[in-house]
Amino acid sequence: MVEMTFLQGIRQAIWEEMQRDSSVFVLGEDIGRLGGAFLVTDGFLNEFGSDRVIDTPISEALIVGTAVGAAAMGKRPVAEMQFMDFISCGFDQVVNVAATFRYRSGGTVSMPIVIRGPSGGYVGGSLYHSQQFESWFFHVPGLKVVQPAFAEDAYGLMKASIRDNNPVLFYEHKWLYRRIKGQIPGPDQDFIVRLGEAAIRRPGDHITIVAYGAMVHFSLEAAEVLAGEGISCEVIDLRTVKPLDMETVLGSLAKTNKALIVYESPKTGGVGAEIAAQIAEAGFDLLDGPVMRVAARDSFVPFAEPLEKYVLPSVEEIIEAARTLHRY
Amino acid sequence: MATRTKNRTNSQTAEQRYRDHLTKADHYELYRRMWLSRLFDETLLDFKKKARLKRGNLYASIGQEAINAGTSLPLKPHDYISPIHRDMPIFHFKGMSLESIMCQVWGKAEAPTRGKDSWSHMGDLSAGVIHSTSMLGSTIPVACGVAWALRLDGKTDSCVVAYTGEGATAQGVFHEGMNFAAVHKLPLVLIVENNQYAYSTPTHLGYATENTAARASGYGIPGWSIDGNDVLEVYEHTSLALARARAGDGPSIVECMTYRVRGHADHDDTRAMGYRPVEEIERWQKEDPIPRYREYLIKNKIFKASELPSPPPDVQKQVLDAAEYAINAPEPEAHTAMEDIYDESAGVTKWSK
Ligand SMILES: Cc1ncc(C[n+]2csc(CCOP(=O)(O)OP(=O)(O)O)c2C)c(N)n1
Repeated sequence: MVEMTFLQGIRQAIWEEMQRDSSVFVLGEDIGRLGGAFLVTDGFLNEFGSDRVIDTPISEALIVGTAVGAAAMGKRPVAEMQFMDFISCGFDQVVNVAATFRYRSGGTVSMPIVIRGPSGGYVGGSLYHSQQFESWFFHVPGLKVVQPAFAEDAYGLMKASIRDNNPVLFYEHKWLYRRIKGQIPGPDQDFIVRLGEAAIRRPGDHITIVAYGAMVHFSLEAAEVLAGEGISCEVIDLRTVKPLDMETVLGSLAKTNKALIVYESPKTGGVGAEIAAQIAEAGFDLLDGPVMRVAARDSFVPFAEPLEKYVLPSVEEIIEAARTLHRY
Repeated sequence: MATRTKNRTNSQTAEQRYRDHLTKADHYELYRRMWLSRLFDETLLDFKKKARLKRGNLYASIGQEAINAGTSLPLKPHDYISPIHRDMPIFHFKGMSLESIMCQVWGKAEAPTRGKDSWSHMGDLSAGVIHSTSMLGSTIPVACGVAWALRLDGKTDSCVVAYTGEGATAQGVFHEGMNFAAVHKLPLVLIVENNQYAYSTPTHLGYATENTAARASGYGIPGWSIDGNDVLEVYEHTSLALARARAGDGPSIVECMTYRVRGHADHDDTRAMGYRPVEEIERWQKEDPIPRYREYLIKNKIFKASELPSPPPDVQKQVLDAAEYAINAPEPEAHTAMEDIYDESAGVTKWSK
């Protein structure tokens, strides 16, 4: 066990996978000489050489498309978006080319691709360096969507994503990069966190809070405050939003009978809407109150601090929503 | 056909006159491939008309057979192609069976996509055919990825030949892919099938350069705009581009100036007469690559006229048999629509809790 930041956990996972498996390679803008804008691939170029650490031109469609072609040939590319916001420039390659590949090959070609990069707000990144829009890809068959909240998970989920045979979108919340630290198991332990399995971060009896990414930490903070008021919250960290672990969510609801979903993206049409619908379909009898959501306002993430705070969800909003829900 | 031989290379030495090395059998093979392409399209159009083929559009390559034959003959089994919608016969020339291609057209269970997708959106990597999509231009970055994988595997002798229409060269991904291929000297040959129209849009509304090969200089690579109805010219320039790629000299663009004699697809045949001058169509019909080549072979005493039946009867039979095979092949079962979305055989050995 070594203490590492969330960011170092990701770096360590990719590094170890590249050492373990020569078919793994990385590509993206400024990832070689610079080591990436956030230094996730720092030192990779020296260790693995320029055939496996590709400094690409500013071409997101090219980055994803090259990953697709290489994956079709049996490689395991890990593609960096300098910021996840820029994936929109490669959107077609993700949804029409990568996601469909296995389907249109009649099951003969798999797409072991990881598309990773920093996402999320709360750092004054403004419109184009703060978005998540994971729901764009949540909607698409053939893709998996991962967003860790803890350093061990960032490490274990990255390893599982690289070894997964499907295109995985790996959202790294930049607010967590250096803020969160954890104990990372050594390579000898081959520690993996399986995709599609949520974790219960805090047991509780009154309300189930479902969250992922930075919102897990907000929810835990809220749960701590609420505990002081006699409201006991069970906090579920989804870790993977697609596939969605509804078994864990419904299992928790059977105990608490109340659901609060917290996500950082705009509220309308987000991942929380789907979770709420699935709860309504499969867990209606378990409910003692309305399914509630705390999410961003339906806006972009603005620059000025008061604006950003106004748009993005806060710990206070989670506490407020939980109090309302508890009164039912 | 103003631009047709403008940019042809003057740098070809005697050894690079690839056509001089063609054997009689090679010549016949080029001739046969052109006829197979022609009959492939005509047969399917006929099946469509008679309602024995009910679904899907037919994007025929009638008039463009010199490209199908001339670009495919120089390929080796370990090369890859990245085809587009108008190139169905090339899938076969690269090694896929006509039966499986016909099954794809009819959406049958044993089609390469198992009935999931239509027409050319298929591939077979074991034959060196990279799966295409309907998103024009999207295939070019993917071809770069295949080339990169070949590099990682040390397969320096394998090349990727990517096809595109001149219309699709306007896509941003075309630039992204060609730029990257040029920077890294990837073994890529880009064949631009310039048939003068992107659906109804003429070339002067598609690009402002003299031709699309002119763009090559923007990437620092060679580009040739050649007579795409002359199969030997196509063969020669493809061979030249492949030789460059195999030598590690990187990508090049071979733009084949040709003409789409029919509509964009079969649904468009009538309207296609409206958006193009009739004289233009007639002029290009006189440039039909098949009789042109036949005349060349006879004039140069490579074959006697009697040795070059038009069409070769066995080719027609081959196409018809494959179509009948597909018609009689089983339909896919409905529930298979939900198969092949994910591959859950992840190579993960150990799980955490
Ligand atoms: C991204 C995208 N936009 C639009 C279309 C619709 N479309 C299909 S073929 C075509 C024309 C293509 O022209 P060109 O590239 O010159 O090839 P050609 O059909 O002439 O062989 C269009 C507009 C498409 N398939 N993909």
